[in-house]
Amino acid sequence: MLFGILSHLGGYVTVTLPEECLEKFINLAVFRGIFLWDIKGVGTGRVLMKVRLDNVQALRHVARMAGCRFKIINRCGLPFFIKRMRQRRVLVAGALVFVAALYLLSSFVWSVEVSGNNRVSDQVVEQVASQAGLKPGVFRWGLNIPALEKTIQQQVPGLAWVGVSVQGVKVSIKVVEKTLPPPDEAAHPTDLVAARDGLITELLVFSGQPLVNEGNTVVKGQVLIASLVSPPPATEEITLPGAEKPQVEQPAHYVRARGIVKARVWYEALADVKLTERGCKFTGREMTRFGIKIGDKEIILIGPGRIPYTHYARQVKSKPGPKWRNTNIPVELLTVKFYEEKPYINRHTEAEARNLAYRKALESIRGQLAGEAVITNKSMEELAAPEPGSVRVKAIVETFENIGISKPRN
Amino acid sequence: MAWKELKNHFKKRFSDYLELPEDIALDLPKIVLIGNLQVFIENHRGIQEYNPRLVRVVVNDKVVEVAGEGLTLRNILTDEICVEGRISSLSFAD
Repeated sequence: MLFGILSHLGGYVTVTLPEECLEKFINLAVFRGIFLWDIKGVGTGRVLMKVRLDNVQALRHVARMAGCRFKIINRCGLPFFIKRMRQRRVLVAGALVFVAALYLLSSFVWSVEVSGNNRVSDQVVEQVASQAGLKPGVFRWGLNIPALEKTIQQQVPGLAWVGVSVQGVKVSIKVVEKTLPPPDEAAHPTDLVAARDGLITELLVFSGQPLVNEGNTVVKGQVLIASLVSPPPATEEITLPGAEKPQVEQPAHYVRARGIVKARVWYEALADVKLTERGCKFTGREMTRFGIKIGDKEIILIGPGRIPYTHYARQVKSKPGPKWRNTNIPVELLTVKFYEEKPYINRHTEAEARNLAYRKALESIRGQLAGEAVITNKSMEELAAPEPGSVRVKAIVETFENIGISKPRN
Repeated sequence: MAWKELKNHFKKRFSDYLELPEDIALDLPKIVLIGNLQVFIENHRGIQEYNPRLVRVVVNDKVVEVAGEGLTLRNILTDEICVEGRISSLSFAD
C-alpha cells in the first residue's frame, strides 16, 4: 500500500524487453541497485517490468551493457499526470473554477426561515432581519449572530427569545413569543361558568352579576357570574330580604366577570381487579434489527432473522427516503426493536384485591383533579363483581375547589 | 574440492556449537513458500532463467528451480526475490 503510494508520487514506467537478454539485464540492474518489480512474461517473446522514473537513466546504461534495447510502453504517477495537465490547461482551469464557484456560492445566505411564531408574522421578522443585515444574498461569513438576535428581539414586539442558526446556506430564525395578558376586557366580555357539577359553599364576586347563591347546586357549564351587569330591576324579582338597593341607576353594560366560586365536588371512579392476574413484563433483554424495506419486502442488513424470544413486543421505527416534489421513493430504512417479555400470574386474596382496586380507582380520580382541589373526604364502596373471580370497587372522593372558569361570551 | 567440503564441515560444526543460524554461517539461501502462491528467496545470486513457466534462481552453489504457471517476479532486490504465480514445484539443481 505504502509502496504503491510512494511509487505513484515519484512516478514509474512500464518497460518491455526481449526475452533473450532478460536474465543478464535483470542481474546487472539488481547489481546496480535498481529496483524492478512486476516482471511479467507476456508470451510473445517480450517481458514487461516496472521501474521507478529516477532509475530509467541508469537502466539505459544497463541495457547498453546487456546489449539489448528496451521500450517504454506506459508512464504512470504524479510527474506524468502533472505533465499531462500542463498540456490541458483549460481542463485544470475548469476544475478550479468549479471548486471556486462551489465555495463562493456556498458562502452566501440563500434562504431565511422563521419558525416558532404564531402571532407575529414571518414578514415582520424577516423585514427586521433584513434591515439588520440578514437576507438572502448576503455573505454568510460576515453575519454577527449575537447582534442579530439582539436586534430582532428588540425591534419585533412580542418576542421573548430569538435564536439564529446558520445551517449551510440556510439561516433559520427560531423565535419564542411572549405570553401576553388577555386582551381588553370591555371589548371581550367573559362569563364565569362552572367547570364541574357541585354544591356552592363560598361565593365571592369581584365583578359581574352573580346568578347563583351559596348552597345552590350547579351543573357543569352553568353561568355563575354573568358578564352582563343589568341595572337593578324595578320589579322585585330576585331581591333578597335585607339586601340594599343601589341608589344610582346604571345602564346595562358588559364586564369581564371575575370572582371566586368554591364548591363541594364529588368524583366517582370504578375499578376492577381480578383475583388471578395475568400479564407480561419486560425482562430487559432486547434485540435490534436493521434493514431496508423495498416495497413490501424487508431485507435484513444487521440483526437476527429469527427472534429467539418466545414472548416479545416489537417497536418499529422507519425512516422514509427524502420527499421531493411528488415522487415517493418506496424505500425505507427500518429499525425494529424486540423486547423480550415474560408472562406472570399474580394471585390476590379478596382483601388485597379490594385494596388494590380502591387504590386504582383513587389514582384515576387523582388524574382528573384540578391542581388546587383539596380532598376533604374519601370513601369506598364495594359493588357486585361483573364476573366471578374479580372484585369491583367504587371510590368516592369529595373535594373543595374553585369551579369557576372564564368563558368568552358569544 | 575435498578442501572445500572440509571447510564447510568445520563451518557447520562451528555454527552448531555456537547455535548460529545456518543460513548466515554457511551463506545458504532462505526460502519461504507461502502456499503455492508466493516464494521468497533471500540471499540469492541473480536469476539464470525466467519465463512464465519456470524461474531459475542462482543461490550459493546451486540453482533453485521454481516451476508453475503464470509466474511473475513481483520484486527483485540485491538479496531477495519474490516469485508469484501458481507454483507447482520447487527443486534444487546443480
